[in-house]
Amino acid sequence: MRLLTHNMLSSNIRGVVNGFPLKIEAVKVVEKSVDMNTDFLKNMFEKIEWKAFVEASVSMGYTELPEEADSSMLDSDEFLSRFHHALLELHLEEGVLVCPETGRRFPVSKGIPNMLLHEDEV
Amino acid sequence: MVVTTSTPTRFSSSLLCYCYSRTFPHFQKNICNNADVTATTSTVPFSSRRRRSRRLLLSMAVKTREQDMVLEEEKKKLQIGIAEFYDESSGIWENIWGDHMHHGFYDPDSTVSVSDHRAAQIRMIEQSLNFASLSQEDPTKWPKSVVDVGCGIGGSSRYLAKKFGASCVGITLSPVQAERANALAASQGLADKVSFQVADALEQPFSDGQFDLVWSMESGEHMPNKAKFVGELARVAAPGGTIIIVTWCHRDLGPDEKSLQPWEENLLKKICDSFYLPEWCSTAEYVKLLETMSLQDIKSADWSPFVAPFWPAVIRSALTWKGFTSILRSGLKTIKGALAMPLMIEGFRKGVIKFAIITCRKPENDEKGE
Repeated sequence: MRLLTHNMLSSNIRGVVNGFPLKIEAVKVVEKSVDMNTDFLKNMFEKIEWKAFVEASVSMGYTELPEEADSSMLDSDEFLSRFHHALLELHLEEGVLVCPETGRRFPVSKGIPNMLLHEDEV
Repeated sequence: MVVTTSTPTRFSSSLLCYCYSRTFPHFQKNICNNADVTATTSTVPFSSRRRRSRRLLLSMAVKTREQDMVLEEEKKKLQIGIAEFYDESSGIWENIWGDHMHHGFYDPDSTVSVSDHRAAQIRMIEQSLNFASLSQEDPTKWPKSVVDVGCGIGGSSRYLAKKFGASCVGITLSPVQAERANALAASQGLADKVSFQVADALEQPFSDGQFDLVWSMESGEHMPNKAKFVGELARVAAPGGTIIIVTWCHRDLGPDEKSLQPWEENLLKKICDSFYLPEWCSTAEYVKLLETMSLQDIKSADWSPFVAPFWPAVIRSALTWKGFTSILRSGLKTIKGALAMPLMIEGFRKGVIKFAIITCRKPENDEKGE
């Protein structure tokens, strides 16, 4: 699971008001490099919730992102490369995503989050 | 995900009961009527009537909770059945048909050969995008984020990601499919753009309004609660986003009809059992649901003539040596699925089953009239 995906995931357990962002407990993080696509990054930047993204990348062991960001920073190669690395090259292979309100743990195994809810959570 | 093991016989008979009871609601009502419920009459003294009414309400409340629990239990069994069916069958499908687990779009009454099907499956995607008036000429109007609901092994996700340069997430109940989908994405150099999760389409693990394109290609037929399914599609669509549903429906009911004919329901019930499908609905019912959610530009069409060559072709592939032995090796669920294929042809031929496309748009924020 990359942080691009994590930034979209939310806990929708019944009764939860704000299930985003899920906290990451990383057990195994793998770096897989991928070619940078600037247009793609610029499109994704508009959709990313930045604070949650920075928090998540710290949980994955990457601390090089600025606390805040705006679209003017997309002109900087340095920023783009850090953004690209955190967004797309860090993979959570094994770990847990934790609902911020209920503490419910969603497993991530072989890079795949299992977000299925139990019967009493729907 | 907890997976319970059960013999196919026990599971399929309980699923059959589920399909039966969903198809014939009076089956459940009869259970209720057999309970200890008495009607009040005017000759009974008032205080006794009040006690009886309280008992009646209490017993109805207990019955409703019990029925809810039964429904939840059946829904869980359906979910597990779907996951296991695709865990078992996806590999053989991919082997013979490739990575798109949906019908091809053909010229009506054409005869097609095996090599035409891949192109037809791509054509199905392109025709669906066109039908939804998804602007393809202007890249600034392309969807940037896509959700593939019931993604299979990710054929649509990868295609849409490549076409639009979009980020795609797919959800499936089958861990085997999710893993295979990710592996295919990696091997095609798309791992940065597409990702796959195990999740329930009726409880999508996404915040509201995330996706410019919400894509459901032949997964709607698996959803036990159509209203919830459509509600989730609408919820996760971004303002101004497009929703595309391509699914199997039963024919629309006539103005005087309250349900399908018994023989039609019997046919669908048999298919339900083999393909892990809950109760079918009609295209008109989908349209009505979308209307209740204030979605706009709702369009629908019957594409049954354009998919007619598909099932005969699937049967032909199953009867080849490779197809036949693969089915036998895959397991009981796949075998049962294969045996149901002629029923699909019968359903289409007799006009019971329709291959439907329904598309719409979520209003922009400032368009909402409410």
